[in-house]
Amino acid sequence: MNFRHIGGVTAAALMTAGMALGTGVAAADPGDYTVLLIDPNVVTDSLAYTAAPPVLNPDGQPGAMTVYTHRDGRTITDTVWVLADPGAAAGAISAAQAATPVANSKTVSVPVGQNGQLVTGKTPDGTKSLSVLYFTEGNAASAMEFTGPVADPLPVNLATDFGQQQDALIKSRLGM
Amino acid sequence: MRKFAMGIASAAMIAGSLSGAVNANAASTTTPIGPGHSPVISALDCQGSTGDRGCGAGFFWRDGWHGWGCYAC
Repeated sequence: MNFRHIGGVTAAALMTAGMALGTGVAAADPGDYTVLLIDPNVVTDSLAYTAAPPVLNPDGQPGAMTVYTHRDGRTITDTVWVLADPGAAAGAISAAQAATPVANSKTVSVPVGQNGQLVTGKTPDGTKSLSVLYFTEGNAASAMEFTGPVADPLPVNLATDFGQQQDALIKSRLGM
Repeated sequence: MRKFAMGIASAAMIAGSLSGAVNANAASTTTPIGPGHSPVISALDCQGSTGDRGCGAGFFWRDGWHGWGCYAC
């Protein structure tokens, strides 16, 4: 592990997580897929990220998407689709991969959901690092895009953490 | 004249104590010991100090994917 957390932000992060969960439960209804989106502040035990308003059913597909922006500009775009069956979920992953080109890409398997894959490299213009984590869970599919400085790409262990917590949230919310 | 002399003495004392602190710091990182004066070298973080905010050697305090924290150099 190449990171050690120092500081007194744990309580604040837990409070934020509690508030987010509370809001999610109150707002939850069968079509409110925004509660499926994992908050990076919970995963990282920090207050570094600010969420944009979530988009329900992005591109007409049932699910939710939002962008979390770090105070230094790096971003995490989290998308979850809830489709008719596992085959449709796998199809959503294929379509997302085709729509998100990664330059100098390298793909590794990660222990996240079903068929967890992490694609790492750079944005097509080469100005940022880009990592995209894909996985399915039953009839749900998830794509998480991480952009940051070229010299500071997302560590694989943190990508795995994000994915596993996103997967756990999907299973919890969808009763899997 | 006496006040002037006292002022010079005070300034000399302060300067002496400051230069001593610098020497003490330098000695804490590289200390010659033994007959051959082999240096004992303490591990330092990537900024050449013993670590900011308690990060310790090999770690650097900055804002990153985890937010503010100690990251490997």
